[in-house]
Amino acid sequence: MPVKKQESIDTGERAMAAEKRPIVERRDFLKILGISGAAATLAGCGNTSIESGVEKVQSYVQPEDFVVPGNSVFYASTCTQCPSHCGVMGRVREGRVLKLEGNPNSIISNGKICGLGQASIQLQYNPDRLTTPMIREGGKLVTASWDQAMKIVNDGLGKDSRIKGNEIVFLTNSVSGHQKVLINNFLESYDSKNHIAYDSLSTQVGDQVRENIYGYTNPVHKIKEARLILSFGNDFLGAGVSPVYLANQYAQFRKAPRGTLIQIEPRMTLTGGNADRWYPIRPGTEGVFALGLANALIQHPEYDTTLPTELTESLKAYDKYTVGQITGINPDAIGHLIAMMWEKTPTLVLSGLSAEGHQQGYQNAYAIELLNVILGNVGKTVTAPMENPFPQMTHVNGNYQGLVALNNQLDAKNVKVLFMMGVNPVYTAPAFIELKNKLSNVPLKIAMVTQLDETAELCDVVLPLLSPVEEFGTHLASYQPEAIEIGIQQPLMEKLHAHTKSFGDVLLTLLKERDEKSYSKYPDYYSYIREAVVKSKPVFKSTLSDDDFWDSALMNGVLHVPLKEAQIDKVKIESVNLPKVETHPEDVNYPFYFVPSVKADMRDGRHANLPWLQESPDPMTTVVWDSWVEINPKTAQDMQVREGDILEIKSSMGSVLAKAYLFPGIQPNTVSIPFGQGHTAYGRYASNRGVNPFKIINPITDEKTGELALFATRVQVTKTALNEKVVKDEGPTTLQQGRKLVATMAADKAELSKEV
Amino acid sequence: MNIKKIELFFFGILFSMLAQLGHAEAFHPGGAPGTQTIDGYNALGPKVEQPIEFPHYTHANVMKINCMYCHTYARRSAVSGIPRLDKCIGCHKMIPEVRDRPRIKKLFWYWDNHISIPWKKVHDLPDFVRFNHERHIQRFYFQDKRPVREVCGYCHGDVANMTTARRVKAISMGWCIDCHKKDHQISKVNLKTTNGPNDCWMCHK
Repeated sequence: MPVKKQESIDTGERAMAAEKRPIVERRDFLKILGISGAAATLAGCGNTSIESGVEKVQSYVQPEDFVVPGNSVFYASTCTQCPSHCGVMGRVREGRVLKLEGNPNSIISNGKICGLGQASIQLQYNPDRLTTPMIREGGKLVTASWDQAMKIVNDGLGKDSRIKGNEIVFLTNSVSGHQKVLINNFLESYDSKNHIAYDSLSTQVGDQVRENIYGYTNPVHKIKEARLILSFGNDFLGAGVSPVYLANQYAQFRKAPRGTLIQIEPRMTLTGGNADRWYPIRPGTEGVFALGLANALIQHPEYDTTLPTELTESLKAYDKYTVGQITGINPDAIGHLIAMMWEKTPTLVLSGLSAEGHQQGYQNAYAIELLNVILGNVGKTVTAPMENPFPQMTHVNGNYQGLVALNNQLDAKNVKVLFMMGVNPVYTAPAFIELKNKLSNVPLKIAMVTQLDETAELCDVVLPLLSPVEEFGTHLASYQPEAIEIGIQQPLMEKLHAHTKSFGDVLLTLLKERDEKSYSKYPDYYSYIREAVVKSKPVFKSTLSDDDFWDSALMNGVLHVPLKEAQIDKVKIESVNLPKVETHPEDVNYPFYFVPSVKADMRDGRHANLPWLQESPDPMTTVVWDSWVEINPKTAQDMQVREGDILEIKSSMGSVLAKAYLFPGIQPNTVSIPFGQGHTAYGRYASNRGVNPFKIINPITDEKTGELALFATRVQVTKTALNEKVVKDEGPTTLQQGRKLVATMAADKAELSKEV
Repeated sequence: MNIKKIELFFFGILFSMLAQLGHAEAFHPGGAPGTQTIDGYNALGPKVEQPIEFPHYTHANVMKINCMYCHTYARRSAVSGIPRLDKCIGCHKMIPEVRDRPRIKKLFWYWDNHISIPWKKVHDLPDFVRFNHERHIQRFYFQDKRPVREVCGYCHGDVANMTTARRVKAISMGWCIDCHKKDHQISKVNLKTTNGPNDCWMCHK
């Protein structure tokens, strides 16, 4: 080749020249080097980096008139990263979605968006996205065409209605809107109602309590109206039911006259970090402390609510010394808190996951909610949600009972076809369920995913779905604070991968197999959604034409049902639901409480595939990309544990190893590991990183609701000989970098009523 | 004193590292023979083969079409973009007499198949440079009312006399700064002069 020839000539000439070269004096050599070096550097300052004629620049063939290359266009849509379903605006340029912002039309997001929403862009461009269907052949998943995959699904379902009722299961996470409607229609076509919603971090216990007391699962908590909030482990600023909306409310709550936030929890959450006073409490005793407060409140001269006598009598057992002994909180704190509660009205009392995830979780939440009743908050800061005219689209909250239902059906070996969408039970199910083994008994398992996760890897057919920014959809948030808001989801760009499909299109295809007559009029999911939304026009009292109504829905991104306020008619209190006054016995074998933390970004691990979230420092510890064990510095000192020492956390279900992080915001006899890491699959960013605390959760459930008691596990902590650097942003030292940047004081020493 | 072999070896390594740092390309003040741009700078752009040899001469010179009739995004956006295909077709549908020419046939082939023409970039700035077309066009064309061929020509040369465009200006940082240092009269009425900005962040953001 000419180039090689040239090279060989050059090399030859150089060799010949070298032979004739005179011996170079050092001074001369440096002169030569100086000139040549300068010349080489100057050549680099030219415009050699301009690559004319290399890259392509392609024009639009026939764009919309408003499209200007280089200028962004914003489209409204709805975030699907968590059940809050914030309205979002996608910034789109040259056909690519680049950034998401909040949609100002949305009551829930009010023009703002959280980190989860921001990172959803990375679902779209994730290099590990599943781009073609996969089927199991010879025990391995191999790529296949849609025809091949759907043939297996249809054969499994049986065209002649061989599959019926409980033989088919549709397992999803919390769903709402037309996704839910289509799932139910699909199951109905097989005479089945077997839609199971499973959420590993469910709020079912608290929901059940509120349902029983007020008649509403999700009453509205008017944070900005309150002057004092007493929160029992409710992380409403972090991983709450609607963090963006509630953070906005919180900002207004903190404006003058500044509201006071008091947080009571065993391990400091993000909300706890923002509180004026933070009380560490022995895990599981939150209800006892609430009843201690209730007992003190009803003895106050200003108290005028009539509680059942039976209840007031039983409250007397919760005197401050008994409560202090059980909860580990200084008995005087009750007096301080009561004084503030009467002074700063209206108040609001919230229960959260760490108070509800216990054997007596229901009783705990019940006792906490009782405070709202005694303080007269019902109708003021605790109000009824708006009336929802679309019950078929209402949000279905997933819960642990979903997993139990699935487990029972798997045990009975009834299930012949199992569909899964938006869930990863193999990762989130506790080890004692042994789900992985039980799933092998199901003849046909179908996962609909955007990335191969632990569950999808075990399935027989894996169908690649569109990412949320390529999809149509409608969503009703689980928490509807000021009006019923329907979030309209629309594609922000064309699909990236040719062989991915919308969830709705897959279900419509399956439905057409069963009921061609009813569904043939919908060529695709878009037409189905469009017709469904347009049909609902009368509810919104719109005078627009069908086309204009649809266009306005897409442009606004949300539809608001005209206000139809409901009220909490009656409050039903039962004295039987009080947590028992009994000292929590120490467990000699497992002396530590295990309180796993729910991070605002990772949640139950479903977002571990997003590198922006992995690299976002945890707000409390600043650790990134890993798991860690939070341990109180005093405990660590007793055990001679330094930061980075690998600790073995062992429960009766198993053990995990993680690095120690000395964290003052945790009870001395408690350790914590965040949920979310420890994936064995789910792409390059999630897999083989950290540990999965779900696997050491003990088989303890709430006595009343049957929900898994996530915070009731006891563990033993053993120091190993290993130490690894904890990767964190806060610098080499913990505790405010060794300087007292923010003054803190032991809560029992502070005179709250004077200082706050 | 003679240099020992080992010292020569290390100097050799140092020299080759320095040479790599600044590219091995030789430096020619004012440009190597045949590579000077029309304003005397180094490195004239290469001739770029385009999928269709677009005759700028016919459109901008013979037909006297304003550059911005086709390059319509230049006055509205940081990037000028490439004219949309339906813009070409909009006119050429009305000119049946040239329809059989090879270039026009090719143009309609792209249109009929709804395929975007894969043009090659002629003026491709590095990604760390942000040039704003809109700002320059608004200032010199709309505010100063200078002729469009002159305004576009500051950077693109006399494209109206080219067939397919070729880079004839250096478009290097020093070249940009030279122009930004010049005194530009604010307007015909206001005789005060102003310079282009010299902040790093104006272009490198």
